[in-house]
Amino acid sequence: MYNFFKIRKQETLSVDLEKSISEANYTVIDTELTGLNERKDSIISMGAVKMIGSKIDLSKNFNKLIKPEAKFKSESVVIHGITPSDVSELPAIDSILSEFAEFCGDDILIGHCVSIDMAFINREMKRVFGNPMPNPVIDTFFIYEWIRTQTPSKPCFSYVPKDSGLYEIAKCFEIPVRGAHDALTDAFITAQIFQRFIPALINLGIKNLGALLKVGHPEKGGDKNSKSGLIYNF
Amino acid sequence: MLTEEVIEFLSKIPPFQFLDNSTLKQLVSGVTMEFFPKGTAIQYQGGPAPEYIYVIKKGEVKVSIKNESEEVFVDYRGEGDLIGYMLIFGGNKARATVVAVNDTICYLIKREPIQNLLYTNPAVREFFHTSFLSKYLDKTFKEIQNRNLVYSGGDKILFTMPVGELASKDVIKASENISIQEAAEIMSNYSISSLILIDADGNPSGIITDRDLRDKVVSKGRDCKEPVKNIMSVPHVRADVKEYCFEAILKMVKHNVHHLLIMKDEKLKGILTNHDLMLIQGTSPLSIVKDIEGQTTIDALVPVSKRINNIIGLLLNEGAKASSITRIITEINDRLVRKILEIAEERFGEPPVPYCWIVFGSEGRKEQTFKTDQDNALIYADPASSEEESLAQEYFRSFSLFVREGLLKCGFPPCPADFMATNPMWRQPLHVWKKYFSNWISTPTSEAILNSVTFFDFRAVYGETKLLDWLKDYVMNMVKDNKVFLGYIANMAIKNMPPIGFLKTFVVEKSGEHKDKLNLKVKGLAPLVDIVRLFSLEKGIYETSTIERIMSLKDKHTIIKEYADELLHAFEFILLLRIQNQFEQLKKGEDINNFINPNTLSNLEKRIAKETFHLISRIQDLIIERYKAMIW
Repeated sequence: MYNFFKIRKQETLSVDLEKSISEANYTVIDTELTGLNERKDSIISMGAVKMIGSKIDLSKNFNKLIKPEAKFKSESVVIHGITPSDVSELPAIDSILSEFAEFCGDDILIGHCVSIDMAFINREMKRVFGNPMPNPVIDTFFIYEWIRTQTPSKPCFSYVPKDSGLYEIAKCFEIPVRGAHDALTDAFITAQIFQRFIPALINLGIKNLGALLKVGHPEKGGDKNSKSGLIYNF
Repeated sequence: MLTEEVIEFLSKIPPFQFLDNSTLKQLVSGVTMEFFPKGTAIQYQGGPAPEYIYVIKKGEVKVSIKNESEEVFVDYRGEGDLIGYMLIFGGNKARATVVAVNDTICYLIKREPIQNLLYTNPAVREFFHTSFLSKYLDKTFKEIQNRNLVYSGGDKILFTMPVGELASKDVIKASENISIQEAAEIMSNYSISSLILIDADGNPSGIITDRDLRDKVVSKGRDCKEPVKNIMSVPHVRADVKEYCFEAILKMVKHNVHHLLIMKDEKLKGILTNHDLMLIQGTSPLSIVKDIEGQTTIDALVPVSKRINNIIGLLLNEGAKASSITRIITEINDRLVRKILEIAEERFGEPPVPYCWIVFGSEGRKEQTFKTDQDNALIYADPASSEEESLAQEYFRSFSLFVREGLLKCGFPPCPADFMATNPMWRQPLHVWKKYFSNWISTPTSEAILNSVTFFDFRAVYGETKLLDWLKDYVMNMVKDNKVFLGYIANMAIKNMPPIGFLKTFVVEKSGEHKDKLNLKVKGLAPLVDIVRLFSLEKGIYETSTIERIMSLKDKHTIIKEYADELLHAFEFILLLRIQNQFEQLKKGEDINNFINPNTLSNLEKRIAKETFHLISRIQDLIIERYKAMIW
């Protein structure tokens, strides 16, 4: 089992910043929420996919539906297709969290507009274990924006996506976007997007985790100018 | 779960389609997915062997190998094709360089579990064995692998017969201390193609073969008094008596040898040649040739001739190139025709004047495959008197009739357009033939063009071949700079536009029995043949086979100079596709035709077909440019 004492002692995992981005271990995550209000809403599913460098491990993935604490809103039912009766028999978030943390291990976490996912995950982590996830986090949306400012004419990096742009970006890279809007599928799409980014990043001189964290960290990274105008709009 | 998608994908492609669901599930238990941007190398020849088999999910890769200094293109692979499967037979280095020519996504499946399937799953074994063989038996590596035949199996005997039963038991051995000459002497005394050399203890220490004598002695001017030890091959490759034939073939291919030492309990038991392996499949081109030569009556030739079609299947399975197949078939058919003519001569006695038996059409171009119509004619020397003329007429009339019936018995149906020596028009003395051609060339009616095109591919099979040479000299001289006549031929070469549709899809037959099918002969083969024939006429090339024509035009014709390799490739490809298709039809007991359903082609084949048609179209444009004034 995952050692939670370790989490308590250590705010953030130490990362080998020199490690090549094509050899590092990543866990690509996504959550589905009842809504976006950090105080009232809650997580209803968590999905995650493992990557070793640019290899996506299809056989190791995490896919859990969770009994939500918050009430369902009709809008999010439309998005996720999960109805209140679907979730009444499900496990509560507390029992899923440790499994999730164990699945993530010491990996770098990756997500698309991941701040929102992390805000909800960490709220629960703090509530249950007293500490947030210690793993460093990378946002594919920030990486996308950064590559775009470096090479605005590169195909698939030439336009500003309308919203978070996960599906838009995916479609441009010809990544199939189909099936349910569930956490695992979206994590897999995000993983495939990140897979495309790795060679592009290396071409732009982003070769190790230190550099990757600079451009992709949701708080520290991204293009400063565009960050102020960035609104997550689901 | 994400692996379900992988299983669904794999369940449609060989060899994974032969596996049941639970085996597939195990196989994908560690599957990963990797992205290779356009231009990146997936593996380098000589680099470490990847621990995976790559299955292309999307994209395209180019496989090439380096020999000495030259990079040789092997093939393109696309969706559903595999990379790196050769390594399941062993080796710790990548055998080829594989580069993504487009953004490519692959599923990576661990090599070991697939390797284990070789022992537990016969279908998988056969798949890898056959694809491996067809890639490697042909050393040019330029060949297109035939999917249909690979999957349809056949040749089960290769997997069930131990080599011990096949290997020749009476092995001729000699001491390793004898000279090259002594070894050669022993080999010719026993009529064997290889000799085992043994050391003082009687253990085999090496082998020499006909090939060694040729490559290492004669061509190098080596002194044949040298000890044979200097040229023998060591260590030689061994197989246990209990090993199956397919394993023996793999060993031969892997070590590039044609002989294996068959061992039992550490003792030399026999020797196995690749010819032995061909023989177990019932047919060997060589044995048919021997059988033809041995006959003295038409009736005795009939059963032999029936075996010719089997050779095609055999050669296809062995991965022979289409041009090799047609060459072998032409050689065998020529011998059959010659034999029939010999029998005819014996029956009718010495001809009153010398004659030459000529063939044309595909037979003339040496592009025959399955039994085709008789296309033949006869030229005889100009008789000295009208008396001799009537003697000749009488003789060749009954002579050609006999030959036609003989050919018919041996499976060659008569030509529906009556292009046969039995037709008095096509059984004439040389001066009449010359007149035919000068008429056709000076007044090119559509019938004249058709006749001359038909006869331009003529080739002497038997008799006084000088007669045909003289006729060719005469004709070529007339045609070479005759722009008007060449203009007519050019029109013919551009008549059949290749089937490249607006949407880059195949244009297929719109109606009738062959709706939605592609006519390989009319749309593919004929334009290629016509184009190359036109260029040969322009340059006065005497060769009749399309491949030989291209080869001799290489340095003479500007268009061919630029496109020779592509044309050869294209021609081989279409020819092979046609042969495979017809062989399949034959096996199913259907009438053979030239129609193919494009949907049955693999992605790779479709791609090459499209490239081929683009090539034809490009060259037709060049012809139109050249003959602008005369194209209508």
